[in-house]
Amino acid sequence: MTLAEGVQIVSFGILAVMVLGSALGVVLLTNIVYSAFLLGGVFISIAGLYVLLNAEFVAAAQVLIYVGAVNVLILFAIMLVNKREDFSSIPRRWIRQGATGIVCFGLFALLGTMILITPWSLAPTSSAVIENSIVEIGKHFFSDFLLPFELASVLLLMAMVGAIILARRDIIPEVAIAKEREIVSTSLTLPERPREIASIGSSPTKEQ
Amino acid sequence: MDFSISIANQLNAATILPEGIVIITLMVVIIGDLIFGRSSSRWLPYAAIAGLLASIIALYFQWNNPEPIAFLGAFNSDNLSIIFRGIVALSTAVTIPMSIRYVEQSGTSLAEFMAIMLTATLGGMFLSGANELVMVFISLEMLSISSYLMTGYMKRDPRSNEAALKYLLIGASSSAIFLYGVSLLYGLSGGETNLTTIAARITDASSSQSLGLAIALVFVIAGIAFKISAVPFHQWTPDVYEGSPTPVVAFLSVGSKAAGFALAIRLLVTAFALVTEEWHFIFTALAILSLVLGNVVALAQTSMKRMLAYSSIAQAGFVMIGLIAGTDAGYSSMIFYLLVYLFMNLGAFTCVILFSLRTGTDQISEYAGLYQKDPLVTLCLSICLLSLGGIPPLAGFFGKIYLFWAGWQAGIYGLVLLGLITTVVSIYYYIRVVKMMVVKEPHEMSDAVKNYPEIRWSLPGMRPLQVGLIVSVVVTSLAGILSNPLFTLANDSVVSTPILQSAVVTRELPQNNVKVSSTVAPSTQH
Repeated sequence: MTLAEGVQIVSFGILAVMVLGSALGVVLLTNIVYSAFLLGGVFISIAGLYVLLNAEFVAAAQVLIYVGAVNVLILFAIMLVNKREDFSSIPRRWIRQGATGIVCFGLFALLGTMILITPWSLAPTSSAVIENSIVEIGKHFFSDFLLPFELASVLLLMAMVGAIILARRDIIPEVAIAKEREIVSTSLTLPERPREIASIGSSPTKEQ
Repeated sequence: MDFSISIANQLNAATILPEGIVIITLMVVIIGDLIFGRSSSRWLPYAAIAGLLASIIALYFQWNNPEPIAFLGAFNSDNLSIIFRGIVALSTAVTIPMSIRYVEQSGTSLAEFMAIMLTATLGGMFLSGANELVMVFISLEMLSISSYLMTGYMKRDPRSNEAALKYLLIGASSSAIFLYGVSLLYGLSGGETNLTTIAARITDASSSQSLGLAIALVFVIAGIAFKISAVPFHQWTPDVYEGSPTPVVAFLSVGSKAAGFALAIRLLVTAFALVTEEWHFIFTALAILSLVLGNVVALAQTSMKRMLAYSSIAQAGFVMIGLIAGTDAGYSSMIFYLLVYLFMNLGAFTCVILFSLRTGTDQISEYAGLYQKDPLVTLCLSICLLSLGGIPPLAGFFGKIYLFWAGWQAGIYGLVLLGLITTVVSIYYYIRVVKMMVVKEPHEMSDAVKNYPEIRWSLPGMRPLQVGLIVSVVVTSLAGILSNPLFTLANDSVVSTPILQSAVVTRELPQNNVKVSSTVAPSTQH
């Protein structure tokens, strides 16, 4: 084992422990602010894994987008909703937690077995051969991934329009019956009246 | 200029002309609204409908394209994708007329609503032709994100907010599961994203990869079943249908579902050709659950939109019979049924919209005695509901017969029998509404119908609603008797699609061998 390989293995071990530890912290801690900060830790450790895989552009994008944008947004959302609410503890909560744990562990065991026994057909070009991954990504974007790349611009446009619609302040028309009977504005609500009684069929949708 | 033409030729960019027209329409809607303000809502919907119809005409000229593969394998414009893209575009073209009045009456802006709906259409159309995993995911997300936005469009209504949040959370997790399955496919094929190449690569090494392939299959089906709201993945459907604006529900139940079925056919037939037995088995389970739960729970509903939600779950179960049959007739019966379902379901939703705009309710009990006040809505809703139930002279009957016949031919007798039984159950809850409207005596009339406003089609936005209603009802009542053009269209599209043909051939070969050997066997005994 050369020095480089040793460094790789050791740093992989450290990163893996960091990912697993902080991911468990995100799920298990009860304080949501700690969870949000630990989520940032998960993202940064995954960026480290990308660096180990010679994908430095993806690593940079991961830090910029996930830590810089998504995680900060989550923290903002948590801090803006500054509401303390004490939840009454559910009796026999441990049964639910235990069941969740068993399901998650079963899924993990299944996926782990699958990953270990499957002979993955690896791509012939090793990632170490590629000099500059940004150039490669650019070539793909303008050849075989051209259509999805262009389509993403329409998707982003619509996401932006949608975000503005959701966030803007609307002029709320008054709920008033005009001279003609039928021109009734419902002021940004559904025209159908809400149901008074809960219907029988709604039972399978109430999970929590 | 020369350069750009040669690039366009190489990419075969002409195949996405219909989508290009939709994108231009989208731009016209957004920019027109920006320049002319609220006054533009008088002509914008018609521009959108014209754009969609132009896109359908462009699709017609693409029929039997000799070179369907475009964008270096990212997009496949074979006849199967053309017909599904046509269904998605047509469903939006019928949905927009019914949404004009609804959206204006709620005081929200119409242009943005149509822009989001056109994006959803675009996502559905690209999804129907996507031939590559990245393309599949981007167009799937395009469809989903626009659907979330439309669901929460009535911002001040808590039901709409709840529906949007629920749809977003369940949709995001199902997308994540789908993406995990797709990433397994990418790994199993050694770094390929093109569906055809994946199929070729995975066939080489099959035995030890079977567990990975099975898990990929299950995860991918979880994502698809969410889109078509098949039963274990249907939990979002009733609440979302109840809380969304009704035109959005109409689009979700037809356009979004059709795109989901297109994705199911393409992904399962090409990439999972090796595990055909397994995915047939999984879809049989999904179909049984959808048929039983959808039809039985619909019996207990009191709200019209909720009832139509469960009815759409059940209808997805019927369409799945064609998918499981896996023969030419099976696939073409799916397409035929989806075409017919488009008109009958959208017609029913148009009637529900008209009723709720006039009375402000969608309770089934409030429909009592409607025929005395509004014979037109009563007639149209009755025709559409009876067609959904499958009463003979109407289009839905022929669609169901064709599905069941294809299923019977393919030898899935149990499922066809279950389909027949649940059809009878479904007729009960459809007829219940018809009976409520028609049979009640004048003194049994509900309060909403007693205070029924004067029918005036001259109000702004009512005329397109009327046109949409009449078109859907005429197609629903005549498409059954004059079904031959639709039937030929569905059949042609399946027969001339290479991916389906190779799948059918590989399925039928072993059966032929068995027949030959069984005929040989007696002769040797003699």
